Amino acid sequence: MQIELSAVVPVPLRDRIRQRPSDIWDREVAFQPGQFVKIKAPSGTGKTTLVHYLYNIRYDYTGTIKAGGKPWRDYSAAQLAAIRQENISVVFQDLRLFDQLTAEENIELKRVMNNKPLYPAGKIREFAEQLGVTHVLGQSAATLSYGERQRIAIIRALMQPFQWLMMDEPFSHLDEGNTAKAAQLIGQECRARNAGFILTDLDHDQHFNYEVTYQL
Amino acid sequence: MQFNRILKKIIRTGVGKSRYWMAIIGLGVAMLLILVALQVHTDFNELLHGSRNQNERADYLVVNKLITNDMMGKPEKTVFTPEEQKDFAAQPFVEAFGAITAAQFNVQMQADQLGFQTLAFFEAVPDTFLDVKSDEWKWREGDQMLPIVVPRDFVNMFNFGFALGNGIPQFSETSIKSLTPEVIISNGMQQGQFRGKIAGFSDRISTVLVPQSFMDWANARYGKGVAKLPSRVVIRVKDPSSIELKNYLEQHNYSTDSEKTKYNKIRGIVQTIVSVVGFFGGVLLMFALLVFSMFIQLVISSCRKEIRLLVTLGTAPKRLQRYLLGQLVPVYFVTGVIALIVVSAAQWWASGVLAKHGMFVAPYPGIMTIVATLGILALVYVVNLVTVRKEIQAHT
Repeated sequence: MQIELSAVVPVPLRDRIRQRPSDIWDREVAFQPGQFVKIKAPSGTGKTTLVHYLYNIRYDYTGTIKAGGKPWRDYSAAQLAAIRQENISVVFQDLRLFDQLTAEENIELKRVMNNKPLYPAGKIREFAEQLGVTHVLGQSAATLSYGERQRIAIIRALMQPFQWLMMDEPFSHLDEGNTAKAAQLIGQECRARNAGFILTDLDHDQHFNYEVTYQL
Repeated sequence: MQFNRILKKIIRTGVGKSRYWMAIIGLGVAMLLILVALQVHTDFNELLHGSRNQNERADYLVVNKLITNDMMGKPEKTVFTPEEQKDFAAQPFVEAFGAITAAQFNVQMQADQLGFQTLAFFEAVPDTFLDVKSDEWKWREGDQMLPIVVPRDFVNMFNFGFALGNGIPQFSETSIKSLTPEVIISNGMQQGQFRGKIAGFSDRISTVLVPQSFMDWANARYGKGVAKLPSRVVIRVKDPSSIELKNYLEQHNYSTDSEKTKYNKIRGIVQTIVSVVGFFGGVLLMFALLVFSMFIQLVISSCRKEIRLLVTLGTAPKRLQRYLLGQLVPVYFVTGVIALIVVSAAQWWASGVLAKHGMFVAPYPGIMTIVATLGILALVYVVNLVTVRKEIQAHT
């Protein structure tokens, strides 16, 4: 599934974008399937906004974003749900876990959302072990530290099939060691699916072999 | 199902518990009222029209104009004009219409065997209105034997009133039939003599009847020569208790055997009560639906953030709808079934009690009641579906 941006300009950032060159805003951009894409952006340039546009939960832009050759606006609610279960997964910057569920239930929710789960339930524990969060699986998500929440959100995103994984500063609260483990797991899962990802971050990093890097 | 188990923790339906139970109880009571109203309506109809409850006598009504003080002494005001007869006969509730011909001559009867002599009167109706089937019921000019039908009430009056008081023996119907009283008719100038023969006893028409052929002949011969308009008519109706009949009679100031039409008063009362009960059931149902919708709105708006996140993560809105409806539908389905069972039990009990009094209604609930149960449940479902769909759309 190819994702294309055509002259996309966020309405709230319109004036600022005119003053500053950008590789993404107001350009024709196509993310090819399977690409590892890095989008580097200083604060306030619309990083999170872009991820929300790409995942189609924010619509205050001019221009067009197409997924699989079809503009986001033309997708119905049911089709969007199917795409979010099968084709596009996400790690939000604000993580968005359910506080009333345990860490494990948060992940399980995503696993069984699809009627035919991609992975058996045992996979949750396996990934948790890799990222060192097994001990918090039974805890309410509300009681976890930000770093733990971040890793739970990453595992949740990996529980489903996808062609694209959107990540908004996924390692912001992880130390070097944990970031390396998480990056390794993400890379391994993407390759297993022949999937690409779009990762936004403030700075350069060496976590992945990025095929393309954009400056926002 | 695993997913729904997790949903249960996210979408707390507990927030509107009191509202929820109010809605369920309201729905239950509303359904009971509506079903009872429908069932009573069905039963009452069966009591009136069902073949097992048929009261043969009630089908024929003798109608006359109500004689008021103004009309006294003015017999021309008590007759049915041809227009009135035509109008009456054309009414949809009238199956057959016949005029009762009154005699225009004096009648005297003597039963020598009994030492009994009385003034009398004759009337005649078309044969089709008579409930006495007898070969003797015919008369041709020149016949000496004159068949007469008397009301069965007369026999009772004679046997239990007159005979006992005057020391005359009581008679069986068979022995009365064997009597041949002498019948003398006259108009003051001429007179004719016949042998009376009791041909039968009528339950239907309370008057002394002779064959129409005799009446026509005798009126022509002994009457004033002008055909008199009837002052009584007989009608056959499907339903003597029908409201249309009652209204028509009242409008035209006609009167009939009130015993036969008394059901229309009861029926009017029952219909009013049933309508009122049904109306309150309907109003209550509306309130129950309203409370249901409020409950759904409350639940959805109290976890709109969660619902939004669920949809963001890829949950199909349809699936959320199904989950929410799945929480509601079984409960009100059970409510509906309980209401139907209660009404069925009441019906079974009522059928037993009524049967002891010779009134028959079906021991199980009527089709209408079952259809109404399904209809109400369908209505509740549709209203809930629309609310859930609207609310979920509004919050995603």
